[in-house]
Amino acid sequence: MSDAVKGRARTLDQAKLPALAAWLCPTIAAEHVAITDASLLGGGAVQENWRLDVEVTGGPRAGRHHWVLRTDAAARLSMSLGRPEEFRCIAAAFRAGVKVAEPVALGEDAGIIGRPFMIQTLATGSAQGRRIVRDPQIGEMGPRLARELGAELARLHKIRPPVTDLGFLDEPRRSASHVAVMALREAMDAGSGLRPALEFIFQWLIDEAPEPRPTALVHGDFRTGNYMVDGGRLTAILDWEFCHWGDPREDLGWFSARCWRFGVDDKTAGGIASKADLLAGYNSVAAEPIAEAEIAYWEVLALARWGAIAALQGDRFLKDGERSLELALTGLMPAEMELDALLAIEVIAKGRKT
Amino acid sequence: MTTKRIAPEDLIALASEMLRDEIVPVLPAGQRYAAAMIANALEIARRGITGDTESAAWALLDQIYDEGEGTLDQLARDIRSGEIDTDTNPDLAARLKAIVQAELRVTNPRFLASRGVR
Repeated sequence: MSDAVKGRARTLDQAKLPALAAWLCPTIAAEHVAITDASLLGGGAVQENWRLDVEVTGGPRAGRHHWVLRTDAAARLSMSLGRPEEFRCIAAAFRAGVKVAEPVALGEDAGIIGRPFMIQTLATGSAQGRRIVRDPQIGEMGPRLARELGAELARLHKIRPPVTDLGFLDEPRRSASHVAVMALREAMDAGSGLRPALEFIFQWLIDEAPEPRPTALVHGDFRTGNYMVDGGRLTAILDWEFCHWGDPREDLGWFSARCWRFGVDDKTAGGIASKADLLAGYNSVAAEPIAEAEIAYWEVLALARWGAIAALQGDRFLKDGERSLELALTGLMPAEMELDALLAIEVIAKGRKT
Repeated sequence: MTTKRIAPEDLIALASEMLRDEIVPVLPAGQRYAAAMIANALEIARRGITGDTESAAWALLDQIYDEGEGTLDQLARDIRSGEIDTDTNPDLAARLKAIVQAELRVTNPRFLASRGVR
């Protein structure tokens, strides 16, 4: 047993492992399941990730495995899915051939280990955005990685409503951009105060909304930091809790927005390559090709969204009294996204004049 | 008022220098992130004491509302309702940008510099 399990009072203490193994056994149709090790991988107050070393006897998954158990977050943003719904979205993406860690089991019953959780296969590599964009290997392999990511995204976007398993996702009644802005306004209304610049950007997004594209399954948080890279190659797309029916350009805009380049601004696709690379991969798979000029609007939406989310994180301290320096500092970040959005709007307006 | 006093912003500056020079180098790697957050928070607080965060906001608010009566929340609501827009206030975007810049001069001047604005 690793020190991580012995040393800390976390969700998955040693005493709970037999119960977890006993639950897993019928869940994955095995004859016997033994969890030989469990170690905390990271995550903090919000959610824990545990690496499980598992020996399965009998059934379709017989053999030794490295799996990851993710507990449900205690405090979730109002816009995010619960763990069971996230699990179903991952399963839909997996079935469509998208590179995700294979979903293994969903523990909805808090009685098993104390909190709901899901188990997936372990993907190798690193997901740390700041590290990925500064990795010398990415300097060389970034364009190929961006094409790979683009192709994966296009595979995801081929999933169109209705999907039986995803009945819990609302289909947008109006254009996805309109729905997105309305949701952000509503979220801000529940916060500690409105921000004039953010409202100006929201209004611009409403006024400038493009013709919608056919509704697709959208990841909702597709960016550097939310995929695993090993040796410069993509191993898995992570963090599906914002998955929803939307406009495919939402994901491309979120990926490209300046706030997710981790300081490597000249690489306009997530700090790893150019948007042309990302779109080349995307359009090699996509049913309907997307042009680079279309992405600018969705980058502004991405900045507005991250700005609003940062403000709401700050409210967890300001309004709800959560004593966290990290939340307070995040709450000071909306101005960064507002400035980038206002600058992006200027560029778009200038482009129209010339 | 000529007596020289140690100002709050001096204390914060000295504390963050001490954190940087004496504490951070001996911290285990696991605590570096927390230390960086503390250093960042101290610097924001220092700039918040000495910086001017309000003039830019009042410059816009007083242009729209009775002097001293406007609030950012009201302005945000009026922008949302369409009461205030670039037709009623042609320099609205520029003024909002000035407010955002003033905020960033306190919270993240390096970010501001990276965008080529001050």
